[in-house]
Amino acid sequence: MRIFSVSHKTAFVVDHCPYMAESSRQLIECDMLTKSRSQGVIPLAPVSKSLWTCAIECSMEYCRILYDVYPTKKLVNYIVSDSEVHILNSWKQENQNTQELMTALAAVGPPNPRQDPECCSVLHGLVAAVESLCKITEYQHESRTTLMDTADRVANRGRIICLTNAKSDTHVRMLEDCVLETIQEQNKRAAGSDRLMPIQQCELVLVHIYPQGEETLVSDRQKKELSSVLSSEVHSVRAGRYLAGKLNVLVQQHFDLASTTITNIPMKEEQHANTSANYDVELLHHRDAHIEFIKSAQPSFHCMNGLKETVTLKWCTPRTNSVELHYCTGAYRISPVDVNSRPSSCLTNFLLNGRSVLLEQPRKSGSKVISHMLSSHGGEIFLHVLNSTRSTLEDPPSISEGCGGRVTDYRITDFGEFMRENRLTPFPESMVDAACRTPVERAKFQLERHTRYWPMIISQTTIFNMQAVVPLANLIVKDTLTDEDVLTCQKTVYNLVDMERKSDPLPISTAGSRGKGPKRDEQYRIMWNELETLVKAHVGTSERHQRVLDCISACRSKPPEEEERKKRGRKREDKEDKTEKNGKDTEEKGWTTDSERLKGVMEREKDEQSECEIIKDSPDSPEPLNKKPRLATEEQQPPEKSKGPVSLLTLWTNRITQANSRKHQEFAGRLSSVNSKAELYQHLKEENGMDVHENGKATR
Amino acid sequence: MPTVVLLDSSLSMTRPVSVEGSEEFQRKNLAVHGLTMLFEHMATNYRLEFTSLVAFSSLWELLVPFSRDYNTLQEALNNLEDYDKTCLEAALQGVSNVVQQEWGTSCPCQVVLVTDGALGIGRGSLRHSLQTVKQRVDDKKFPLPFPFPSKLYVMCIANAEELQATDSMDNLEQLINLNGGEGQIYTMEGPLCLKSVQSMFGKLIDQAYSPFHAVLRCGNLTSDVQVFPRPEPVTIDEEVDPIPKTVQTEGDEIGTGATDDTEEETSTNQMAGKSPNFCVLLHGSLKVEGMVALVQLGPDWFGMLYSQADSKKKSNLMMSLFDPGSEPLPWLGRMSQLGPASDAAENPYGEDDSKSPFPIQPKHKRSYAQNVTVWIKASGLQTDVQKILRNAKKLPEKTQTFYKELNRLRKAALAFGFWELLKSVAELLERECTLLPDSAHPDAAFQLSHAAQQLKLASSGDSKYAVFEQNITPMLTDFSGGGGADRI
Repeated sequence: MRIFSVSHKTAFVVDHCPYMAESSRQLIECDMLTKSRSQGVIPLAPVSKSLWTCAIECSMEYCRILYDVYPTKKLVNYIVSDSEVHILNSWKQENQNTQELMTALAAVGPPNPRQDPECCSVLHGLVAAVESLCKITEYQHESRTTLMDTADRVANRGRIICLTNAKSDTHVRMLEDCVLETIQEQNKRAAGSDRLMPIQQCELVLVHIYPQGEETLVSDRQKKELSSVLSSEVHSVRAGRYLAGKLNVLVQQHFDLASTTITNIPMKEEQHANTSANYDVELLHHRDAHIEFIKSAQPSFHCMNGLKETVTLKWCTPRTNSVELHYCTGAYRISPVDVNSRPSSCLTNFLLNGRSVLLEQPRKSGSKVISHMLSSHGGEIFLHVLNSTRSTLEDPPSISEGCGGRVTDYRITDFGEFMRENRLTPFPESMVDAACRTPVERAKFQLERHTRYWPMIISQTTIFNMQAVVPLANLIVKDTLTDEDVLTCQKTVYNLVDMERKSDPLPISTAGSRGKGPKRDEQYRIMWNELETLVKAHVGTSERHQRVLDCISACRSKPPEEEERKKRGRKREDKEDKTEKNGKDTEEKGWTTDSERLKGVMEREKDEQSECEIIKDSPDSPEPLNKKPRLATEEQQPPEKSKGPVSLLTLWTNRITQANSRKHQEFAGRLSSVNSKAELYQHLKEENGMDVHENGKATR
Repeated sequence: MPTVVLLDSSLSMTRPVSVEGSEEFQRKNLAVHGLTMLFEHMATNYRLEFTSLVAFSSLWELLVPFSRDYNTLQEALNNLEDYDKTCLEAALQGVSNVVQQEWGTSCPCQVVLVTDGALGIGRGSLRHSLQTVKQRVDDKKFPLPFPFPSKLYVMCIANAEELQATDSMDNLEQLINLNGGEGQIYTMEGPLCLKSVQSMFGKLIDQAYSPFHAVLRCGNLTSDVQVFPRPEPVTIDEEVDPIPKTVQTEGDEIGTGATDDTEEETSTNQMAGKSPNFCVLLHGSLKVEGMVALVQLGPDWFGMLYSQADSKKKSNLMMSLFDPGSEPLPWLGRMSQLGPASDAAENPYGEDDSKSPFPIQPKHKRSYAQNVTVWIKASGLQTDVQKILRNAKKLPEKTQTFYKELNRLRKAALAFGFWELLKSVAELLERECTLLPDSAHPDAAFQLSHAAQQLKLASSGDSKYAVFEQNITPMLTDFSGGGGADRI
């Protein structure tokens, strides 16, 4: 389909000369109600429309259908001609609606029969129409600007529909000649202008309107090429419904429309609410919605009035609460032919209220074939074309047969949450951010940020299985953080420190590893590493993101110890594995080896005492009571002892502890502690006369 | 795109080809060999393609209806018999019928014609068909162009020189032209042997049956995917932009939205079944949440991803392509203007997910969504007049509706330049006033004569009274409580 075909621009030229004020002689009775009821009252004389009124309402109907089916890119310029030219709107998209045209038409009013006929002519309007066709539309402008070097691909074509009352065939020829001459003149002018384009093709459609009961003075003529640029056709039509019918046919021809009649629509009777009768409603839409019928020339394609063709489709009463999905191969806007008739408005209101109607091909026998569906989206009704034959998409392979289909622990719920957080919403055209990114680019950027660290399966992650990490995980992916956000992240980290101190269990997956999985301190190590990975992925975003990482680095155990622990952790794991294999009989042996190590530990730094607690801490054993003091010790290490710089947290904790210590009586244990460590169960030692460790030795 | 293999099984296909060496081949053997290669390729790399096999001579026969079972196809190929002379027109008509019956006229199909290039003699020969193509009556039309979108591939078990010696090549080219240029002729290079037939079918496979590999990308999460059926290039406006748009092999997923990135990569991870794949994760979440993901296929080309279930047990990730363009679905607005909901001042989906920013309403309502006035049929006008009269009889209760309908009529009459109607309705209202029963509310008479007077003034065309935007407001009377004007 070509955007800049002749249908891109339509100029309406309506004759406003005194003779158009003549009556169409089609009488309309508007005094019907009283006539039947009250006798003795003389009914009012019927009214009749003037030729002008007929021309206006039929052209408005043409525009109504056009705007319903093509809300954009098909433009109308409405021109009224008498002794001068009245241009009622412009090619601008914002001017393309019937309300605006109606307002402008009301301002023009009906032709003045007393105006001097000598100085009035439709010619003024035709000249203006040609001038107007030379004017560039916003779409042509946009295309020319985007195509740059190949801007000459943007064509300038258009159509002039002239509604007039001509005097004779000679008069018609005169009008045609005038249009041709004007085009030649205007094209010369346009060649030298930026805002004008020469007309490459113009279709002139002359509609001669004459009152009913009169003989026409103008003969119909098929489309004829008057020059390489201009073609012309003449329609001689009686005013009233004939004219309406003619313009309806023309709008279908000009804009590739086709007609569908929905039949068997059940409607409650106005008078008797409990009875219902079946009605038909005719709709217009792009003819591609009938492509299947056109190509296979099906019998449901039948003629009506000998004039227009319509496809009849049967209404299928919708079943409630059933969401049926169909392969939809196209959706086309519709316009009802008889927009304000009761059946039409019943159907359109039904659809606008969110209901859908399936349409079935009428067949005398065989199974029912549903080929179309009517449904509205955002206040517009669309005729959907459904695939009524076999689909090549049938029987697709299951996703579980493909790559990754056997994995069962995908983070489906989390990704659902992720999708909801990354949902899209329309932004106004003017909304461009500082970096000049369009909203869709921002959306992609956000996706990039949100997926920098996103493990796909549950067993690959610890932190995303922890409720405690959620506040930080949600914030860290943001483009900008506030101070408050940083504080929330820090709180999350403190909370984790606290959990570690309490030795809360972590949701670490044991899948894949033999035995009972890593020990608790190992678990925390994994957790901290993962958290660091997440935050490190965002550290470049802003200085505040960096602060979150700083906080984590400060709060978690120091890297050198980390390394040491890692080494030991590995050894421990090996041993544990052995323990598992050898069973309970060798428990003593296991203990021995541990004690052996302990000895070595004792010989090292004093605070290594804490380690022995950890070593004892197998997943089975009850949580050691003095774990908390251990952590506190680490954190309260005097600055000179720590290997890295002192973190803010350490300084703060020291301060708080100092302040607090003044407020209460110190525990006896802590008072007698060495390096903040007090030995428990000292009385046992006294009783046994033996040291715990020596006990260990003794067994050896 | 389903495939129809149309295999020439006329006697000329049994002509032997001179091969140095031990075995003697017929052209038919070469054809079968080439098709076997095609079927093997499809069975492994293109297994969702539906293929049917039609054999023809002077008659045609559907040997295998559309199927994904390549064993059956192969078997039929192996059991092929030899028949009489070549009559291509009838066979093409047969293909057209077979396809339309199965897939209708909108599903694109590929037709692979395998022939030795001896296209018959006399009546029923391709030469004869093409000579008479313009003298057909409606029900005897030449089957090309096919009514469905199609590609016609002609696989000649002959080399180009052989075909050019007769008018066969010209006729085949004419055939492709008749199909709107959609298709291609393949000939064998060098001597007719297994190797050259392989090379010819290899070219067809590269052209028409190469699987479409892409990478689906959502930020840093990616997955290699194969798209089937293959997305084909599209031309939107041959005048403004004659270069067909192709789907980029990089897609990005954007949020209910999510875009997809597709990028050519040689991923041959056969062990992939057990390692996590983003596609499976995305599919699972889309299914559970009932959401769709937006996917970008190229500049200004989008589609959507969703979970599609064929039966209750099997479901897969489906991609639907929208028409290329910046605004393929009017109710989503311009695609480039869709941004992250979190950037909005207020969550457009509501705190409890009760709202949605979609559908976007058009700037101007369509005619059927507004109360337009159309008087093309006399009944339209009569209904509107009657509405006014009906309300006139129920004054003052119906004052609001009465004036609403009156103003609607007034506006339309002014726009259509139908002043006569205004006068007529004014007279009707005046008469209505005289017919008021004694029991009528005194306000009714005031309103009726006020309305009639206003209509008359408007019908004079006096610029003071005929302003389109101005409405007739109810008359302020002692009975209307003084609020009449305010109520409009």
